[in-house]
Amino acid sequence: MVAGSKRTPENVLPHLHQIIQAVFSGKKVSGDMTAIGLVLSSAGLTLFRALLGFVVGAVSGFILALLMKLSGFVEKLLFPYLMLIQLIPVLGLAPIILSVTGDINVSRVVIAGILSFYPVATNTLSGFKAVEKDKYDLMFVYASKPRELYTKVLIPSSLPYFFTGLKIAAPMAVTASILVDTLQGDGGLGCILSQSLKHAMSIYVFWIIVFVSALIGILSSKVIGWIEIGVSPWKRTGKRSRKVRT
Amino acid sequence: MAAVKKKIGRPKPLRQRIGENKSWQKASAIVLPLALGLLIVLIWQTELLHSWLDTDTFTLPLMDKIGSIMYDNSDKIWANAVDTLKVAGIGLAAGSLLGYLVAIFAALLPRLGQGSLYVIGAFASIPVVAMAPVLNNWTKDVSSDAAVRSMVSKILVVTLICAADMGLNAYRGLTEIKLYSEDMMSIYAAKKRVVLWKLRIPNSIPYVFTALKVSVPASIMTAIVSEYFAEKITGVGRQIRENIVLAQYSTAWAYIATACVIGILAYVLLMAAQTILLKRYH
Repeated sequence: MVAGSKRTPENVLPHLHQIIQAVFSGKKVSGDMTAIGLVLSSAGLTLFRALLGFVVGAVSGFILALLMKLSGFVEKLLFPYLMLIQLIPVLGLAPIILSVTGDINVSRVVIAGILSFYPVATNTLSGFKAVEKDKYDLMFVYASKPRELYTKVLIPSSLPYFFTGLKIAAPMAVTASILVDTLQGDGGLGCILSQSLKHAMSIYVFWIIVFVSALIGILSSKVIGWIEIGVSPWKRTGKRSRKVRT
Repeated sequence: MAAVKKKIGRPKPLRQRIGENKSWQKASAIVLPLALGLLIVLIWQTELLHSWLDTDTFTLPLMDKIGSIMYDNSDKIWANAVDTLKVAGIGLAAGSLLGYLVAIFAALLPRLGQGSLYVIGAFASIPVVAMAPVLNNWTKDVSSDAAVRSMVSKILVVTLICAADMGLNAYRGLTEIKLYSEDMMSIYAAKKRVVLWKLRIPNSIPYVFTALKVSVPASIMTAIVSEYFAEKITGVGRQIRENIVLAQYSTAWAYIATACVIGILAYVLLMAAQTILLKRYH
């Protein structure tokens, strides 16, 4: 009865020790790969693709925020659309973006890019706007050029906000990458996730993926935090910036 | 920004003089985005967009075709939209409530409670794609009706995602209180219960809205993604996927448009609620 309905314990929730055993077992699940080897190599593939979209999204988000700060015209033109983009369920658009672009890798970069684009853009823009008037005044007294105003004051002081945006964006880019994987068989975590769910390979592979993907989600924003501390020495004094979420 | 440029004292170009005109400033905030919107519609309708993206009107139908399909299938789209809204709405309500209760628990008993905040946070960092199938499995015994049990599993996914967001924000609202007001409460010899009702909860209301601004769009997106993995084929997100599998791209686009409308309407409702409620408190 239990076996017939596929309601076996390893499908519902295996013991933790069983999952850990599966991690260290040398049994081959697919070709000549062990379970953990397969998961880790696909995780690497997924992460690499997520990273590409993430970088594209973050860079274009930062540039857009800079453009919006430089020109009120651009800000007025695009700001309502920046708000609109985050209301559109972009992950739901994954299948259609795949059919429009026709290439799975392009659509992955597009979706991860859009998802990481708007937190970065909105947070960086509010970072630019949060610069106190005193600092503008000081730069005026120094008779600084507009370019110096940006490189010496605006961009450094917007960095904490920029990194807050990145921290929100990183797990989203990973999720996007995994989801796009499930649409088409091309390796990657999402692909073997749907395969193991359909019992094409050991179900433990699925459970390892659940843990690995959760770990990646948490680590991705932690890594951004470490990079932030690395590039901004003033952060190391223990002062923390306020989180801005719009 | 304009004031700063004035101080630097360069001669004003024409562009800046226009920019400093008050009535233009007000009008441009509406006129410019509208103009861009019209431009996008124009590019879309004249199939310029199709040639840029190297696609055809079959995969990317014209806007009027999407509109007419939405009109023709309005009953079916409405039924699916209601299903998605149920999942997102109930999940959002349950998750926000759960998150808020955990936040109160954490504010009252910091040692025990902060741990539970971490637990919720850890749950939320599992990607939806991995969480949805797990919960699908767990809820198989809930009901013999596939519609009910897939609904329950979808709602649970949305609940977990929303709970973390609300929990973390509400905890900040309940604890980041102006110093003197906490002191005053202790001078009044107020009980913990009174401090909670009169000080902590009112103070947390703006933070609740900060959380909702993130979790309302997130709940809709989560509902749509968890529909992909659900047993019962229903909901806006699932219909997008099903119609693409059947190569009915224009129907899929009609559902995408529906999803966008749902997202925007939900956000407008939230903003209206915020304006009404925050006025009362401040």
